[in-house]
Amino acid sequence: MTASDSFSDSAILQVFDALIFQQSGEGFVCRGELPSWCPPPGARSLTEFHPEVLLTQSFFLQHVIQEAQSWWASDQSGVWKSGLWSEPDVFGEEAVFEAIAVREKDIPYLIIQRFGPDMVPVQPLLQKAREEQLSHRQSLQQHEQREAQLGSQLARSEQERDDVMAVLDRLGLGTILVDATDRITFISRTAQDLLQREASDIIGHSLQTGLPWPKEFSALLHAQEELPDDCRGPASVVLDRKGAPSLSLDIEMRDDPRDPLRKILFLKDVTEVHELRRQLVGQTHFFRLIGKSPAMRAIYEQIQDVAMVDAPVLIQGETGTGKELVARALHEGSPRKDRPFVAVNCAGLTDSLLGSQLFGHKRGAFTGAIQDHEGFFEAADGGTLLLDEIGDMPLPIQTTLLRVLQEGEIIRLGESRPRSVNVRVLAATHQDLQALVQAGRFRSDLLYRIRVARLRLPALRERREDIPLLSMAFLEQGRAAIGKLGIHDIAPTAMQQLLRYPWPGNVRELKAAVEFALIHCRGTNIQPSDLPPEFEESGHPVLSHPSPVAARDERQAIMEALQQVNGRRIQAAKLLGMSRSTFYRRLRELDIPIES
Amino acid sequence: MKQKKICLLGGFAVGKTSLVRRLVSGLFSEKYLTTIGVKIDQKMVTIHDHSLLLVLWDLYGDDDYQKVRASYLQGSSGYILVIDGTRPETIDVAIRLHQTARQVVGTVPYVLLLNKHDLAEDWKVDPATLGELSRQACLVAKVSAKTGDGVESAFSALAEAMLNGS
Ligand SMILES: Nc1nc2c(ncn2[C@@H]2O[C@H](COP(=O)(O)OP(=O)(O)OP(=O)(O)O)[C@@H](O)[C@H]2O)c(=O)[nH]1
Ligand SMILES: [Mg+2]
Repeated sequence: MTASDSFSDSAILQVFDALIFQQSGEGFVCRGELPSWCPPPGARSLTEFHPEVLLTQSFFLQHVIQEAQSWWASDQSGVWKSGLWSEPDVFGEEAVFEAIAVREKDIPYLIIQRFGPDMVPVQPLLQKAREEQLSHRQSLQQHEQREAQLGSQLARSEQERDDVMAVLDRLGLGTILVDATDRITFISRTAQDLLQREASDIIGHSLQTGLPWPKEFSALLHAQEELPDDCRGPASVVLDRKGAPSLSLDIEMRDDPRDPLRKILFLKDVTEVHELRRQLVGQTHFFRLIGKSPAMRAIYEQIQDVAMVDAPVLIQGETGTGKELVARALHEGSPRKDRPFVAVNCAGLTDSLLGSQLFGHKRGAFTGAIQDHEGFFEAADGGTLLLDEIGDMPLPIQTTLLRVLQEGEIIRLGESRPRSVNVRVLAATHQDLQALVQAGRFRSDLLYRIRVARLRLPALRERREDIPLLSMAFLEQGRAAIGKLGIHDIAPTAMQQLLRYPWPGNVRELKAAVEFALIHCRGTNIQPSDLPPEFEESGHPVLSHPSPVAARDERQAIMEALQQVNGRRIQAAKLLGMSRSTFYRRLRELDIPIES
Repeated sequence: MKQKKICLLGGFAVGKTSLVRRLVSGLFSEKYLTTIGVKIDQKMVTIHDHSLLLVLWDLYGDDDYQKVRASYLQGSSGYILVIDGTRPETIDVAIRLHQTARQVVGTVPYVLLLNKHDLAEDWKVDPATLGELSRQACLVAKVSAKTGDGVESAFSALAEAMLNGS
């Protein structure tokens, strides 16, 4: 059988519809029938077409022949396939080909198959797989984009919410959100702190039962829910808290602006406000004045009353009772409080000196007036001027002062030009001005002018019950100033002495006595021995020579002390700084019924 | 006349066929028809008065279904690595194919094309992050087969590099 015989069965070859080359010498010859796709449309005629030319013209076939040669040279059996390719310029038509190398009886054959566009079975599969991969990727990307968008939206709204919360927290406002079914959906940090509850213990619970307030209050809130938004006012509740003082809360309920069925509760801590109100009732301080005795409370009220009136006030009281503090309180409580407060002592100055101090002078107005000088009236312009010891004011100055008060103008010494001043004048004195008028040392018209309003400060002995409070306040101030912070109390025996002393120098003297004691004190409590010498010398002046006034005051102090501690005598004694035996003795001496 | 074989390498659908089509016939189609096997095209270019026939081997996209046969790269004077600028995952394919090319043909010139630059809003690939791949390339360019931007100059750059190298 010849080589040509082996593929002579053209019927079989035709089934492949392939171009078949057989290696012959250096080149290849075409075998069998030409396939139906040969010659390609570009070839002008059948005779002109030499299939072998393909092998030299096709870039891919050149590659194929190289590869096939080495395959034929190897001993491998079976077939070698080139893989699919398309090469339109050679065949004139976009088609897909594949070359197959075989060896038959040691003769190499190269078979070239052509596939029409629909004949490559892997194409649709691959196409589908890759398209799906692309579209999957695309939807994934869209998802990611959406997710990123939502993420940043969420972050933005969380940021906004955090900002709002931070503002509310700063304002000390707690917030609770409640949904349409009365469930709590949110509780701010401040609200958690106020209620001493963690968010996890509260969220999801009902507004009626989930919060630590009494049932009646829940009912009140529930009733509020039924009201229109603008008819609800704040509801107040006092909560007892573990390990902390009880808390006064104002709770305001508002509709959620986006959904009126949902509610927002604002919680405001008003404990301090309530405390301040409470303190006003049992006040121990007023501006820098100290005292809770009825006499002092009456003074506080009077100060409040006259502070706002822009009229002169005459402050009377013994030396050391705190007349200047009253004047300052009047100033601080008045609309002039942001303007100057000037105090001038009228005692011990000559006419001209006091006159120039008060009204100012022009240069050369008197010997020593070396330059223009602004007086206290001008310095206090817009504010308050305290004329202390006004009883000692020389008559000529009284005359000028009267004119100034009438006209609201001053004239500096040595000048003729009046200057208008706006000053509220307060006057203070320890003297009986009426008596001075009678003695011809004080102008009656000035007196009437300055005592439009009058305040009379009690002497310390008239308000002995304030002595413990005052001395403890001075102890507090003094120990810091002196640097003896270890001293924090006054021994009852020493307090007893303080309570009995007549205090001719009043509060000023008490302050000095406490400071004296602080300096001398070596322990943590002030002892009687630490007090100034007059306490030893005088013994118990109140006891030995009880003046009717003092006795009345002590009686009142004891009564009040008893009242304060609900009749418990030992505590009342302590409060007054007396020993038990002294206290009982004083009860007997002052005729205070034991069972009171 | 001088002939130079150039392979186009890259993941599927990065636009290899589109780039060749743009270069050879100036056309573009939105429709994606994945290439089966090797598609051979030719393009005559003139570099410094020398005519040069570029034989372009547009190799099918390399992926899990079809791995590019290393033997197809034999005889290449240069190659073009194509990345889809909107799909960062095509960088890895380019890196892999680059390694294969180096093994088969050694250090011949190549250009790195970031295709689909017309899709600026979906652009995800920063050329600065391509490292080694871009450092060794004789050109790194953002191109668009759709608009034709940068396509011709990229092929010219490679042709010139191949001429200088030979
Ligand atoms: N917008 C845009 N689309 C392009 C660009 N280049 C290619 N495409 C599109 O991308 C898809 C794939 O393009 P092909 O050129 O077929 O990609 P390929 O790399 O040859 O793909 P395989 O043959 O499957 O490996 C087609 O839908 C093209 O229309 C381009 O520059 N811009
Ligand atoms: Mg393709």
